[in-house]
Amino acid sequence: MEQFFQQLTNGLAVGGIYALIALGYTMVYGVMKLINFAHGDLFTLGSYLGLSLLTSLALTENIGAFMGVIALAILVMALVGIVGVVLERAAYRPLRESPRLSAVVSALGASIVLSNGIMLIYGAKYLFYPQNILPSMTIPIFGLPVPLMRIIILVTSLVMMAALYLFIQKTTIGTAIRAAAIDQGAARLMGINVDMVIMMVFMIGPALGGAAGLMVGLYYGNINFTMGWVYGLKAFTAAILGGIGNIPGAMVGGILLGVIESLGAAYISLAWKDAIAFFVLILILIVRPTGLLGERVAEKV
Amino acid sequence: MKTKQIITAYAVTIILFLCCPAFLNRYWVDVLNNVGLYAILGLSLNVILGYAGLFNMGHAAFYAIGAYTAAILNTKFGVPVLLLIPVAGVFAAVFAAVVARPIIHLRGDYLLIVTIGMVEILRIALINDLFGITGGSNGIYGIGRPEIFGFKIKKPHEFFYLIWLFVAITVFFFNRLENSRFGRALNFLREDEVAAEGSGINTAWYKLLAFILGAFWAGMTGVLYATKMNFISPESFNFWESVVIFMIVILGGSGSIMGVILGAFLVVGLPEVFRDFANARMLFFGAAMIVMMIFRNEGLIPPKPKKFVLDA
Amino acid sequence: MKRIFILALALCLISTGSVFAAGKTVRIGLMGPMTGPWASEGQEMKQVLDLLAEDINKAGGINGMQVEVIAEDDAGDPRTAALASQRLSTRDVVAVVGTYGSSVTEATQTIYDESEIIQVANGSTAVRLSEKGLNFFFRTCPRDDEQGRVAAQTIKKLAYKNVAILHDNTTYAKGLANEAKALLVKEKDIKIVFFDALTPGERDYNTLLTKLKGSKPDVVFFTGYYPEAGLLLRQKRELGFTAPFIGGDATNHPDLVKIAGVEAAKDFYFLSAPLPKDLPSAEATSFVKGFEAKYGNSPNSIYAVLAGDGFRVVVEAIKNAKSVKSNDIAKYLHTKLTDFPGLTGTISFNEKGDRVGDVYRVYRVDAAGNFILQP
Repeated sequence: MEQFFQQLTNGLAVGGIYALIALGYTMVYGVMKLINFAHGDLFTLGSYLGLSLLTSLALTENIGAFMGVIALAILVMALVGIVGVVLERAAYRPLRESPRLSAVVSALGASIVLSNGIMLIYGAKYLFYPQNILPSMTIPIFGLPVPLMRIIILVTSLVMMAALYLFIQKTTIGTAIRAAAIDQGAARLMGINVDMVIMMVFMIGPALGGAAGLMVGLYYGNINFTMGWVYGLKAFTAAILGGIGNIPGAMVGGILLGVIESLGAAYISLAWKDAIAFFVLILILIVRPTGLLGERVAEKV
Repeated sequence: MKTKQIITAYAVTIILFLCCPAFLNRYWVDVLNNVGLYAILGLSLNVILGYAGLFNMGHAAFYAIGAYTAAILNTKFGVPVLLLIPVAGVFAAVFAAVVARPIIHLRGDYLLIVTIGMVEILRIALINDLFGITGGSNGIYGIGRPEIFGFKIKKPHEFFYLIWLFVAITVFFFNRLENSRFGRALNFLREDEVAAEGSGINTAWYKLLAFILGAFWAGMTGVLYATKMNFISPESFNFWESVVIFMIVILGGSGSIMGVILGAFLVVGLPEVFRDFANARMLFFGAAMIVMMIFRNEGLIPPKPKKFVLDA
Repeated sequence: MKRIFILALALCLISTGSVFAAGKTVRIGLMGPMTGPWASEGQEMKQVLDLLAEDINKAGGINGMQVEVIAEDDAGDPRTAALASQRLSTRDVVAVVGTYGSSVTEATQTIYDESEIIQVANGSTAVRLSEKGLNFFFRTCPRDDEQGRVAAQTIKKLAYKNVAILHDNTTYAKGLANEAKALLVKEKDIKIVFFDALTPGERDYNTLLTKLKGSKPDVVFFTGYYPEAGLLLRQKRELGFTAPFIGGDATNHPDLVKIAGVEAAKDFYFLSAPLPKDLPSAEATSFVKGFEAKYGNSPNSIYAVLAGDGFRVVVEAIKNAKSVKSNDIAKYLHTKLTDFPGLTGTISFNEKGDRVGDVYRVYRVDAAGNFILQP
């Protein structure tokens, strides 16, 4: 039983990261109906930029560990957000009126450019975050020793998701984003600046992905240029699982995928872990063709 | 007059192309062989993605089934490779029928991720040596070479003619298919599923048929790949492989035979042309994808709108 | 129509571009993963060969001929590797060094053999690669069965009873795990309590470690690569899982300690060909010095050093056989080359092209993160 709870927390920690990345997929999809295959590489970029800033600015030494990390997160999110906006301008905007899959191929091209660009700038070697920026200690929860860093990851993920949810539901810009997601043409007629909405989406989504990248770097300690592909695919799976285009869906999907993976590996088979996760995904989609929280709508014709 | 010119132009190009192994070294011939294989794969995916409009990003799974069927039957039972081409196709088609049946009703991007899931599950199954016959991550080595009347095809120059003959057959067949009742039904279905259903087209059945036909063709291509490499392993059929085939179709022009062939030339050929950039070659390749998509966002050679001339 | 002609013309142009003129140089190919997940290994292989070639050319070349290294990218993928080998075979290379990964090498073996080019693999340890009777295939890395034997011996010597074996489902790691398992099950007092694979390329292995911990092993033998090994060590410490880990030679990489952290890596054992720093030979010391002077760090990957050895045996064979013909070189390597002072110890090849002799040593990571050779 203790092992079961241990595995559950393992799954939650991984799932929190999936969920955070999945938000980027789902937001972009919601407004643009585009699968942004470059999102995983923006996540990688976040962890590389985080490392560069960490070593060059020495924030954690100057203003304390926690404040330093928070400042670092804000910087990384801002920078990756800007890259996201530039990416949209360069690779997606010219394709807005063209067939949907053309933009997908452009996104795949962007993914290749980003990951290989990172390799050329930073090198193909593994890079390392300095150890123990945040105190490595464990906190007992129900008798289980849970590493502090994991709690931070999960809590940060949940806080960011909650903040995003409130932003989308309660603010004017959020309302505009929701309107553009439902019908871009009608939103434009209502006086909503759809270009601005798309820019916002391409800022927030990658920023969250960048934050996830920073957290992965801080917690796991090592990064390399190919890691975005693995996380990206998992997060995309999570977004679909929850119902793509739906923000709470991405959160549920991410956490659920992490837990499925963890329990599947623990109690069915380790070597078949990813196959089990995909199998469950397919089963869920057969029963609920638009994901767990996705709305049943006829595809636009 | 005009059509005559076009026919001569095609003929000249084809003759030039058939002569080119004589001028090229084995590396470039092998690149052309790969282009040929991916052109066939692209054309087979084109049935599913281009004609029927089903987002299949797991096409490498069918290709893998074909290659593994051939590898196992050839190395274990000594069945000649050429005989295995249709057999492997049938295996892939049956696999497609079984797998696609429950997921065929999924829409757009949901189908996309499910097909990705399919190819990943298959790859993991191959790595874990399913039924003890796939060789696990080692793969299968020692697949025989094709033999025609005692002549053994071994060198890239010889494979060139086998592969491009198969490309020609594929082009001919799919060209006929485009204009058949089946092809028109798929087109209708892609353009407007509801209207197609209303006109008495059994959409689920036609979608499934598209999957089966595409898989059959990809399975046959798998045999060519297995015998050319004479070694296969699960890594050759990963998700990225599916992405490559997907890019070929969309970049070339979804639904257009000429477009898909050109797409194969670019997607497979460009990374080779960029080899001189050393470590930066994939960066240039990615950038080229974006630029081409921006300037030709319907694909490089989009399908021509259909014209039907009424007999006056 | 015009477009078609242009395309045909372009094809003709491409074809003429690859014609070259042979001069008074010896060309030795390097096939390695310059891009893709193993790019850091491949790029270092190129660094090593460039350095060695430079030294030889400065000293007057091989029998008066200059050496040129022609590098091709195999991206760590069998299909790209097949193309890379076709390309090398058209560029008049005498021999090819490489590559990293058994299934990648396997995709190219037939091509080199048919074009009669010597291939010296540096990081391809699967047993069957040299069981095909290929005359031109050699490797400077030992085979999985040899390493499996040393691993089983080490585990036995350290008197562990309950052994867990963990691999990553790659050709190399699974092969090694199977070899070790086959030998260990024969031992009466040793029990295999765990045998499974992880998914390489991930960041979080807590699920696996929790499961592993539940099987209560005395020791864990991990046969995979250093990035995963480092993460396993780091996360096992956090989990309070204390069983010691032993790694295969793919865990031999300075980054292992950086990934794991010094405290977590302490007392990790691994098997490996000796590191250049532990060889008394003058070749090894001067090589490491030269490498540090040129690139600012000592070589990271043992496989890059093994590629250097592959290059050096080819050069030695050309020099002494006084020939650049594949048959002469292969004959020299098979029969005449004995106890050649390599960067990783003495090198001789048997009739299969495998390196013979005791290559493996046992290393331990000390409290400062250094790799200490065990007696």
